[in-house]
Amino acid sequence: MLTSILIYIFFLASAPLFIGVVNKLKSRLTGRTGPSLFQPYYDLRRLLRKETIYATSASIISRIAPVIGFVSLLFAGMILPIGFYKPLISFDGDIILFAYLFGLARFFQILGAMDIGSSFEGMGAAREATFAVFAEPIYFFTLGSLAFIFGCTSMYEIFHSISLNNPAFLVFISVASISVFFLMITETSRMPVDDPNTHLELTMIHEVMILDNSGLDLFLYQYTSYLKILIYATFTSNFFNPFNVQNHYLGFSIYIMIIFILIVNLVWIETMMGRFKLKSIPQYLLFAASIGILNILVYSFFNK
Amino acid sequence: MIVNIFFIGIIIQMAFAIIPLFIKNQKTCSAVSHFGAMAGIIISFSATSAMLLFKPPALVDIYSHAYWGMFNFRFDSLSLFFMILIQLLSIPVLIYSYAYQKPYIATGKSIKLSVSSFILLIASLQLLVVANHAVLFLIFWELMALLSYLNMIFEHEKPEVQKGSFIYFIATHAATFFLFAFFLILHSVTGSYNFSDYHIISDGSALYYTLFVLGFIGFAIKAGFMPFHFWLPRAHPIAPTYLSAYLSGVIIKLGIYGIFRVFEFLNPTDPFLGWAVLVISMFSTIFGVWYALAQRDIKTLLAYSSIENIGIIGIGLGVGLLGLASANQSVIILGFGGALFHTFNHAIFKTQLFIGAGIIYQHTHTRDIERMGGIIHSAKWLALLFLVGSVAISGIPPLNGFVSEFIIYNSFFKTAGNFGNYYPFFMLLMTVGLALAGGLAVAAFTKVNSIMFLGTPREEQKKLFNISKAEYISIGIPALMCVIIGIFPQTVISFIINILQGMPLVASYGRDYSMIARIFPDLMPLTKIFISLFLFAPVIYMLKKFICHGKTRISKAWGCGYQHLTPRMQYTASSYADELNAIPAHILLIKKEATVIEHIFPAKAGFSSSTGDYAEDKIVRPVYERIISFINGVNFLSRNDVRIYIAFILGTIVLYLALAFIWKY
Repeated sequence: MLTSILIYIFFLASAPLFIGVVNKLKSRLTGRTGPSLFQPYYDLRRLLRKETIYATSASIISRIAPVIGFVSLLFAGMILPIGFYKPLISFDGDIILFAYLFGLARFFQILGAMDIGSSFEGMGAAREATFAVFAEPIYFFTLGSLAFIFGCTSMYEIFHSISLNNPAFLVFISVASISVFFLMITETSRMPVDDPNTHLELTMIHEVMILDNSGLDLFLYQYTSYLKILIYATFTSNFFNPFNVQNHYLGFSIYIMIIFILIVNLVWIETMMGRFKLKSIPQYLLFAASIGILNILVYSFFNK
Repeated sequence: MIVNIFFIGIIIQMAFAIIPLFIKNQKTCSAVSHFGAMAGIIISFSATSAMLLFKPPALVDIYSHAYWGMFNFRFDSLSLFFMILIQLLSIPVLIYSYAYQKPYIATGKSIKLSVSSFILLIASLQLLVVANHAVLFLIFWELMALLSYLNMIFEHEKPEVQKGSFIYFIATHAATFFLFAFFLILHSVTGSYNFSDYHIISDGSALYYTLFVLGFIGFAIKAGFMPFHFWLPRAHPIAPTYLSAYLSGVIIKLGIYGIFRVFEFLNPTDPFLGWAVLVISMFSTIFGVWYALAQRDIKTLLAYSSIENIGIIGIGLGVGLLGLASANQSVIILGFGGALFHTFNHAIFKTQLFIGAGIIYQHTHTRDIERMGGIIHSAKWLALLFLVGSVAISGIPPLNGFVSEFIIYNSFFKTAGNFGNYYPFFMLLMTVGLALAGGLAVAAFTKVNSIMFLGTPREEQKKLFNISKAEYISIGIPALMCVIIGIFPQTVISFIINILQGMPLVASYGRDYSMIARIFPDLMPLTKIFISLFLFAPVIYMLKKFICHGKTRISKAWGCGYQHLTPRMQYTASSYADELNAIPAHILLIKKEATVIEHIFPAKAGFSSSTGDYAEDKIVRPVYERIISFINGVNFLSRNDVRIYIAFILGTIVLYLALAFIWKY
């Protein structure tokens, strides 16, 4: 229990570092020196010092939305197994709670954006709501199908049941991880779906939703988005964790390694690809969902 | 004894529906009848809860009460469940109805008929669920339809009210026709009119399936399953809001009650029926919420959302049927238990949302959400209470909507795990479908909340928000229930286990309390997490406030270089939902009309969009028009000439004789 808490605190503390590494590698790949690895921490510290400005049209929703988003992701993260360690929260059916805690965060982030009454935020919120509709089916097609195969509904147990010795699983897991990687990119507003670096309001999703937030609110929103991407990365990494190796240190180093491989993938995609047209994003998401269907078909064929 | 107390409560309600009609002063009349009826409901409520508390667990029939012949009442656990639902929700709705009538009294409109018929409606519903005789049941069923019609035409001078209430009238009678046929066939099969005698074993004959289809369709029209839902989005917007709340919260749930009864009478053991119910329900769930997303009239939107939730309840029913087909107790219990739980929850938050919509309507005099905006600045608590209902209905933790969906998800996993074979694949599709509906519900209800309450007012408000205490109480009670059930679902679960113990469908597989309780997923972790969520979020909020202290400023929003934003620049409800609605545009029947801006000096430009309803526009209306044109075609025969009529009669007799002759030889 104590180690789980310590690991979780470490997890929370290293969330900005993930983005730091991504940005650093990305700059290196495009031939720039790039900001320091710890730049996200400096950004957060700067935001803490700044004053918080509310729009005249902002109501109490703007004030509570970042808090609710942060808290719900904090709890969602507790469900994830990190490395080999038992998560803080683990019970039958926690995969459903995990998906719906993201729903809670999204609900309030959308409301917080719409609270300003500006059409910029409206645009972002509408896109967020649209793409999120496809996100949950992808999640259930991957983790849900694993749950159906193993007959357990707790994330820790599901990931523990994966054995990489079975060739059917190998196919299954690799396809599922692609789906989940797509999901991660959509949910965290990374490159082919959303460009985290532009500040052109008309093309953004996440950045435009927090356009009118500042100071501590922006701090919470930014930290929540760092946390979100790390949660999704950990989630993807869990598909590859050889849980049957019962060594914590080995498990943790494997976890770090997989996260690093994910970062390299992310950076590679972001450097090589441009943003999709907004209209084609639903197709991209449906593709991710449909390979989820493929998944369970593959498995049922192998299982016979 | 207890039964007598219950009937005394009913008689008190009826008395307070009739007696105040003789009071001249409308204000006193309304007060006396509302509060008298409430007292009656509290009396009968205490009687029903006492029956539930003191019942011997092994008895399915708790109390049977036959007066003479037809007046035959039976209090079994299923009727007690719906009874408690009716009584529990009547109280906030009655409080709201009292507040609703006040401004009308001030304008001098006569409200006596609608108050009296509304209270009679509540009383007749309570009798409906305990009626044990088919004819008595149909009498109360008709009373329910007629009394809600009488309420619906409250503002009968408006043409839209006349039209909508007429559609309701037709739909409810179509349902009754199916039920007439259903009960008549049941009578001819069993030779009895008593519900307690109906136990038909599935024999695979055509008659059996006819019975199932008749019963299911009859009650599905009332409940609002997807192809039969067309009356809901027509009737809800035009009904006075207290009735809309009651229609969506309670009356359509009686369709679910009926479907449970159909299952109980027919004991279906064919998995095909389970799959059929599942498919219809999944269809209602996804398209119900998609239609909801496309609406701009708040009450129509809520009506479509009711269709979605009826679909979710139906999914539970379908899973239960699959369990019955394989005689698997845990699947039956999770399916039916999930359906009952969601019925209970939906009744609570839908009542709350409709009351909220009604309060807003009375202050803004519009149901069009595109004309609202910024209401949170003038009515903060109303907005927050409405938000509670919206979060609950979207199935988002930590409120009650999540818990019942959680149980339904669990029923999928249980079905897949217990049955194996092809079940996991289809159950996975069900899971994904429910998740998709959840995402769409988030989109629909963020749209409602943000367009109505947030931002700045799109039109000048004619009247300041002045919400009375009665209105706050009526919306506050369900909101409180949402939160409490969300955190402590065990209370309702143990109530539902009590109900399941007494249901013959479940009880034949064992009715031990602890055995049933073990089948439900352990909800204690949810309670712990939700409590910590509720404790932790305010701590973070206070911490944020503390750090922010002295460092906050209020300023204008970013206007992209312009001076300021205008209310008309805000995102509208249609633009918010446009991207999602474009996907099934052919099913939502979205029509867009725009005048393009041309020339150097453009003329006045405009844009409008509207949505239809596939079932109504493409199925019901064409069939109806076919029938009308057929009747018009036959119409040429009717002449005002006695000789022609006599010739017709003669011709008919000759035809009959000829047919009889052919048949005989």
